[in-house]
Amino acid sequence: MQGIVIPISMVPGNSAIHRMNPLPKLLWTFGILALSFSTRNIAVLGIAFAIGLLLVFYSRITSAYLRVALILFPISLTLITLQSIAPAFPRPWTTIAAFGPFNIYQEGIYSGISLLLRIMAMTTWAMVTIMTSHPSDIFTSLKKIGMPYVLNFILVMTLQLIPILQNEFGTVLNAQKSRAMKGSGFGAILPSMVPVFVGAIERVQQLSISLESRAFGSTGQKSSFRQVRMAFSDYFVMALGFVTTGLATYWVIIDKSLDWSKSMTFSPIFAVSLVLSATIGFLVFVIFAIRAALSA
Amino acid sequence: MSEKKPVIEFKDVTFWHGGGNEKPAIKNINLKIYEGDYVALLGLNGAGKTTLQLCINGVIPNSIMGDFEGEVIVYGKDTYDTPVREMAKMVGMVFDNPEFQLSQMSVAEEIALGMESLGFSYDEMVETITEVLDIVGLQGLEERSPFGLSGGQQQRLSIAAALAMEPKILVMDEPTSNVDPIGKEEIFSVAAQLNREKNMTVIMAEHEVEVMAAYANIVIVMHEGEILLNGTPEEVFSNVELIQKLGLRLPQVTEYAHRLNQLNLASIKKPYPVTLNSAIERYKDIL
Repeated sequence: MQGIVIPISMVPGNSAIHRMNPLPKLLWTFGILALSFSTRNIAVLGIAFAIGLLLVFYSRITSAYLRVALILFPISLTLITLQSIAPAFPRPWTTIAAFGPFNIYQEGIYSGISLLLRIMAMTTWAMVTIMTSHPSDIFTSLKKIGMPYVLNFILVMTLQLIPILQNEFGTVLNAQKSRAMKGSGFGAILPSMVPVFVGAIERVQQLSISLESRAFGSTGQKSSFRQVRMAFSDYFVMALGFVTTGLATYWVIIDKSLDWSKSMTFSPIFAVSLVLSATIGFLVFVIFAIRAALSA
Repeated sequence: MSEKKPVIEFKDVTFWHGGGNEKPAIKNINLKIYEGDYVALLGLNGAGKTTLQLCINGVIPNSIMGDFEGEVIVYGKDTYDTPVREMAKMVGMVFDNPEFQLSQMSVAEEIALGMESLGFSYDEMVETITEVLDIVGLQGLEERSPFGLSGGQQQRLSIAAALAMEPKILVMDEPTSNVDPIGKEEIFSVAAQLNREKNMTVIMAEHEVEVMAAYANIVIVMHEGEILLNGTPEEVFSNVELIQKLGLRLPQVTEYAHRLNQLNLASIKKPYPVTLNSAIERYKDIL
């Protein structure tokens, strides 16, 4: 199992956020999710993202966060490029500049920034929760608030299966290489799929028999080995999260003046520079990704 | 004096796997196993050992599709009418591939899984986890990921997970097939210890005949779904020609005794010795 890394997993630590019960963290994350989907206001989304970043620094998960963000951010930059030339907004659009044969629209720039911030805000908060909570604690907390334990088990098993399947892919690719077949790239991955997935099916069949042999699916009263307790501070943070994100979501929904898509203007130079930087940022990422894949 | 009652009884059991198989995986199995027995199941791959073992906790016929005839009675319960999760309280199962039996984030949680399903209290779980980890020699690894353990440790964890349910019978299907030599020895010694100290009935399918001859009090030889031989290791392994014809290995000392007879170098009476110690005892007079 060596060399297997789940990019998004718990980073051990002793910050107040690490010590907190996962439920308040989950509530805040879902609250931010609701808020982010309820508004396009870049100031609100920007503040949510900035607070998320502060929590990342405070809980000392910066390097683990950056490993994910450095993949996610360049990919999300494409939103700016695509939105600027084809905004997800009702027409008419206001042309503010031209980028080659394409027109750059005012609404597109706004939409691109807004979508980018929405993705970054949501993922940052989600990563704070995931990277500061033991997965078993998250599942135990969910079980406590009534999530069916079978569903919980599915989540645990999925998390476990990802590195196992990665490992098996590696074994099959090495076997292919040793038989002078292609060992990297899409052409190598495709033939590996069959043995890996046949193996996965066999594994699941065997696991289901093994679980049944351990009374899994028993209908009686169940108990939990993992003990996750709620302290007063956890209740307080949870209530604060509920009120804050709830009120903020309500506010952004009812206050129509927060829609800055028409009122906020961008200069042509800013628009072109932004689209150009986003496109270059994404292309640099693609080049690095291809080079990394080829050297693997 | 009352007659000793078997804890496992197969009565004319035949099972065909689903998918239109004409040949049964096991046929006409009649077998009695008593409390505290250590049963070794021998046979080539496809002989029916796994199918027979899966009948003991009711996975066959309750979870694996196929046609089932006969009766399997375990501690007075007919496995046909008893859910597998009920049988789990009496029968612990350990399969050949340890990695395929594990699913949890930590060793402790893996062991607790079955107990959680049965509603054990937290204190009971903590106590049992400590106890079973002690039995299988994995103390101190409670927080480790099961997938980060060696093959031998993973298999011992599977045994611990089965033991946590406090079963009276431990069924093990080639538990050492994916384990290195040190891991094999660890697993055999844990099974022997449970049998000896807790009077647990152990049924183990295994290819290591030397070890089985040393630990088991009953050896069963299966071939093409049928039980061909059933008796003490000495009785069974003395059927040298049949066992060799089936393509199975014999304990080296048994083979040696048979060869000495064949070459007229000695006259060793059946039943042949099956372990080194019994051989030394028998040959003391000759040497």
